[in-house]
Amino acid sequence: MNSTLSIPRFVLARLRDGAVVLFLVVLTIFVLAFVVGNPVEYYAPPDATQEEIDRLNRILGFDRPFHVQFADYFGGLVRGDFGDSLFQRRPAIHPILEALPATILLSLTGIAVAGLWGAVTGVIAGVRPGSIFDRVANFLSVSMVSVPNFWLGLLLIVIFAVQLRALPTSGFFDPKGLILPTLTLGLVHGGRIFLIVRSVTFEETTKPYVMVAESKGLPFSYVVGRHILRNAGVTIATTVGWEYVRMMGGTAFAIEFVFAWPGVGNLMIDSANRQDFPVLQAGVILTGVFVIVANIVVDLGSKVVDRRLQPA
Amino acid sequence: MSSISTTSSRQGVVLPAARSGRRHGRWALSFWVGLLVVFLLVGVTGDLAAPYEPFEQAPLDRLSAPMTTTERGLHVFGTDPLGRDLLSSIIFGTRLTLLIGLVATVIGAVIGTLIGTAAGYYGGWVDRIGMRLAEAQTAMPMFLVAILLLSVLGPSIINLIVVLPALIWPTFARIIRAETMRLRSTPFIEAAQALGCSGATIMFRHLIPNLAGRIGVLVVVSVGHVMLAEAGLSFLGVGVQPPEITWGLLISLGRPYLAVAWWLTIIPGVFLGLVVLSINMIGRYHERHLGAAG
Repeated sequence: MNSTLSIPRFVLARLRDGAVVLFLVVLTIFVLAFVVGNPVEYYAPPDATQEEIDRLNRILGFDRPFHVQFADYFGGLVRGDFGDSLFQRRPAIHPILEALPATILLSLTGIAVAGLWGAVTGVIAGVRPGSIFDRVANFLSVSMVSVPNFWLGLLLIVIFAVQLRALPTSGFFDPKGLILPTLTLGLVHGGRIFLIVRSVTFEETTKPYVMVAESKGLPFSYVVGRHILRNAGVTIATTVGWEYVRMMGGTAFAIEFVFAWPGVGNLMIDSANRQDFPVLQAGVILTGVFVIVANIVVDLGSKVVDRRLQPA
Repeated sequence: MSSISTTSSRQGVVLPAARSGRRHGRWALSFWVGLLVVFLLVGVTGDLAAPYEPFEQAPLDRLSAPMTTTERGLHVFGTDPLGRDLLSSIIFGTRLTLLIGLVATVIGAVIGTLIGTAAGYYGGWVDRIGMRLAEAQTAMPMFLVAILLLSVLGPSIINLIVVLPALIWPTFARIIRAETMRLRSTPFIEAAQALGCSGATIMFRHLIPNLAGRIGVLVVVSVGHVMLAEAGLSFLGVGVQPPEITWGLLISLGRPYLAVAWWLTIIPGVFLGLVVLSINMIGRYHERHLGAAG
């Protein structure tokens, strides 16, 4: 559909779609928060009179009709105001900005391990299909994506922290505390990257140009490095990009919880437990913005690098 | 499609099929199907298959390691802080674990298939709305939304079955839409249109039956995904609540004892992993062969 568009028009079309999607996200999360409950009942002391509850409702603006509240909230969003946290009485964006560096640090180390591990093993397995290495790596990777990621984290804690006493289970300020959560993310996402890279590389080896290159008498390792990797490279890079989006879109949150990592995921879980809707809404919307923009960037990147791309 | 075809490129020779490889694949397939059938049977028979009453407490035998023999007998997987037999709890929890995964997947599959076929067949604004909804759903961190919903509405099995399908319907919608668009221009659909069939007739009598194989594979793959999500929500304490038991909940209940009784956390996860692994292995096998056939 977009394949015939020039790059500026492609970006425009994607931005327009992205804006619609973002509006739907904002609307959905606002409706959900509106429908599921009134946080005032949670924040008011148990012996509060009806009068006091009404007053709290009025102060927080929860007594207004839905469309007024939504218009107010949306108007704020446009100006970059996500409302105030109910729990901390300060802009909802502040606790998120404070937690963000920890999440970014963990996700970057996680994707680095996952990308390196998945891409290297994937290429090796893809050019040697059916080999022992291929079979073992394949089985391990499918296993990694078949177990719950938080369970894998707990397993690593049992092995390295409880049994071997080699590594700490948590701790943001000790660099060693980063090892286990990174390893968990690396194994899970590395498994997914492996599966895609392997199949892309394998498909590349079946193409006629490989046969031509080999029939010229070029050594296979040269063909892999010179031809196959160059052609599979874009897809491999895109795959790693998608995987990062996926990680930031939610998978890393459960891992943060397991390792008590002071990132956005833990903040969100805490906010849900204390019904701090503005923080939760801000988190969901910002994650949505990230996913939408990242999707456009990844698509655009692969379009710019490889102008032949013709999406089916 | 994108996965393995049965040609050997290394020597540049196209073999009909790497024969030994395919036979190996078939043996492996029987193994994973067999494993899954065993779990299904355990799910159906439930506590009848358990060596002990799952809720029978024995405080004196608490936190026994796996393979400990107590006065009551052998505890293959050890016991929990109340002396309950872990193997019995796992067997008892099989039914609900599988049931939630299946029911939620089927609901998500139905929603996604309907939206996907309609979007692909009608195109235009139906397509645009359907696809934007799917994208919005994908862009939302559903895990957070599920936590919000379940923490306020209260954790219950019904709420889980409402929330979990949201995780998978966009995948169904996207893939089924693409397949529908491919089929829409084929002669048999054009013939049906020429005969005056309504859109609904074409969707339900012609398009969906033709996509059944593809939908089937997607369902198989999604069950694993949904089961992992259920485990995640139960792990965070917003899913299934005691006295109901799922494997995800068992992992969560065992977590505080991680340092003294690893088996409470690790063993239920191994079972969950085995079920999802066999589902994924079966799914990959079918994907390969549907891909080769289609």
